[in-house]
Amino acid sequence: MRRNLRVGVAALAATTTLFTMTACGRSDAPAAEDTSAAPVAEGKATGTITVWAMGTEGEKLGDFAKAFTEANPDATVEVTAIPWDAAHDKIATAIAADQTPDVSMVGTTWMGEFASTGALDPTPDPILADSFFPGAWGTTVVNDVAYAVPWYVETRVLYTNTAAAEKAGVSPSPATWDDLKASTAAMQAAGAKYGITLQAGQQGAWQTLMPFVWQAGGEILSADGKLTLDTPEFVDALTYYQSFFTAAVAPMDVPVGTLESSLIAGEFGSMVSGPWHIGILEEQGYKDFTLSPLPKGEKLASFIGGSNLAVFKNAENRDGAWKFIEWLSQPDTQAAWYEATSDLPSVPAAWETGTLASDPQLKIFGTQLETAVAPPSIPNWEQIATVIDTELEKVTRSGLDPQEAATSIQQQAEAIGTGL
Amino acid sequence: MSATTLPKPPAPAHQPARGATPTVRRSTPLRRRRSIAAWGFAAPFVLLFLVFTAWPVISSLLMSVTDIKSRDLRDPFNVNFVGIDNFSAVLADPLFWQAARNTGYFVVVGVPLVMFVSLMIAIALNTGITRLAGFFRVGYFMPVVTSIVAVAVVWRFLLKDDNGVINVVLGWFGVDGPNWLGDPRWSMPAMIMMAVWRSMGTLIVIFLAGLQGVPASLHEAAALDGANAMQRLRLITVPIMRPTLLFGAVLTGIGYLQLFEEPLVMTNGGGPLNSTLSVSLYIYRQFGFGNYGIASAMSYLLFLAIVLLTLLQFRLLSERDPRPRRAARKASPAAGPTAAPEGGIR
Repeated sequence: MRRNLRVGVAALAATTTLFTMTACGRSDAPAAEDTSAAPVAEGKATGTITVWAMGTEGEKLGDFAKAFTEANPDATVEVTAIPWDAAHDKIATAIAADQTPDVSMVGTTWMGEFASTGALDPTPDPILADSFFPGAWGTTVVNDVAYAVPWYVETRVLYTNTAAAEKAGVSPSPATWDDLKASTAAMQAAGAKYGITLQAGQQGAWQTLMPFVWQAGGEILSADGKLTLDTPEFVDALTYYQSFFTAAVAPMDVPVGTLESSLIAGEFGSMVSGPWHIGILEEQGYKDFTLSPLPKGEKLASFIGGSNLAVFKNAENRDGAWKFIEWLSQPDTQAAWYEATSDLPSVPAAWETGTLASDPQLKIFGTQLETAVAPPSIPNWEQIATVIDTELEKVTRSGLDPQEAATSIQQQAEAIGTGL
Repeated sequence: MSATTLPKPPAPAHQPARGATPTVRRSTPLRRRRSIAAWGFAAPFVLLFLVFTAWPVISSLLMSVTDIKSRDLRDPFNVNFVGIDNFSAVLADPLFWQAARNTGYFVVVGVPLVMFVSLMIAIALNTGITRLAGFFRVGYFMPVVTSIVAVAVVWRFLLKDDNGVINVVLGWFGVDGPNWLGDPRWSMPAMIMMAVWRSMGTLIVIFLAGLQGVPASLHEAAALDGANAMQRLRLITVPIMRPTLLFGAVLTGIGYLQLFEEPLVMTNGGGPLNSTLSVSLYIYRQFGFGNYGIASAMSYLLFLAIVLLTLLQFRLLSERDPRPRRAARKASPAAGPTAAPEGGIR
């Protein structure tokens, strides 16, 4: 017994010594890493390019990349499909173990975290910022350096049950905050159970709130990189958001799986959602809905999400990787990718041809994307977003004063810090 | 438990191997060879244990005293030693305390409730229901082996506000059921309800096994003396079952302190208003945010809570002879489960 204890203590002591010997603390300055991008070699891509992609993209990219390998006969593209749930941890582990692929799809909100580990390669020259939607490009920039390329995007618009709006005698496309307020109230008065559904709180509610903040003219970070979550604009947005709940125009809870059926039945007059809902609603045989950009406050805005493509610093085939990404962000490729997956292109030029240009519903998304904003790519964003989710729930559910909520959000967010 | 190890054999003169002096031990080459061989045989296990059990535990302990975050992934040794800063930061975090309170509520209400319910069902299955006993045993065990994800979908429908089965049934009795998962006051009771339903299967099986050890003759004798069913339960069944009950309580206590799956799948990770945020879930969230140091510190605090709860349960439920038996105990060295019932029924 005692001997075991001694061995245990010795082992612990040994590891501790090992640890303290090797760990001499953080180096004072965050190593002035070289953030200038090295140029990419000319000519065709060669060698094997390993790519990680999640979800549908992971399943379809392998076949889609054949067009690339036909044009670059010396190159092969190896796609590994990763489930979304496991993706974040898998990339984090790969970075820790130095076992990264050449290219990986990276969720827009993970950029800050992964870029600050120093594992991502800055975006080289031939890829130009102004060929992408500004909001989408913004997600790749961490500390003024771009570390990825936007691959596809999604944004949120207003879905309205056209019949419910007609019954209430209002336009299904409210243009301003006041219009939205009036039309949702009118739809409710005309028989809809609720005029609009807005997420009342819990995970991801910030994605519905932030468009209103941006519309009010608020920002998450000021120009000098300080968190500004208690500005009058932020409070205005919270107040406006809260008004839907105090007037009971928006429901506190939407039971799982009832959102679509309630909108179709006209129980909900409208909702805010992304492009995926077109498919879901049409699958249920429902076409009588109107899409419109989110209403205008001080200005137009919405939330932009999606995924980026990043190359790792330790990529074995860095040149090939960037060439593959460059090919994926060509307008033609982007349009073809839309046909294959229904992923919305991150390149405005791709919206000028084919279905994307002719379909009136898709056009709404195209319009909305021009003004859509992304949260800043700071490592601690997800943590700050949780604070917003929690405080927002207090505002909608228990009637917390918006000013108090904003102050509390700012306080907690400052304690967390941006992490840069 | 410890009582059984107490009567150690006196220093065994005929066994030089164990108690012999070190000089003898070291000088025997055979002995050394044997011990090398023994370590050789043990090596696979020792290695597996060190790599997969000891190392993660030690490294998480080390993480809890450094400021390691996700940005240090590439260079995990490039961190600062911060002492107990992480622990004091956690203890100053109001959300951690809310999570601790929620978990405490869950354990304090949930563990006794599930113990009571399972014991009652086990007794019913053991005595009352004989015809379909097998069917019921399987039935009660089903929730244990069913996937939580599937269960969550069903329970969310059962707990729905306006047309959920539970509220409809309550409505028959004129009770206006609450919005279980949407109301911060009722979300935790809903979690407890579901957890009791999910975990009672295991306890019923354990208690059924324990009930087999209660001799029918004691019940018969007590019944002859005029003890009613309630008295027999209190004075015969429960005392004899004490070790089983302790085992069940420790097992559920540890499981319930680590409450995680239910709020994760049922309330979108801790809602509404963080009323179902548990400590484990908060740890998971912090790991997700990349705050490995803080999250490890929280894990150790949770570990401490588990140890304390288990000690408390051992104190409350382990073998403890009633006062009148004190004198008798000295007379008979026999200690163990069989000693209790005698004292119980006097």
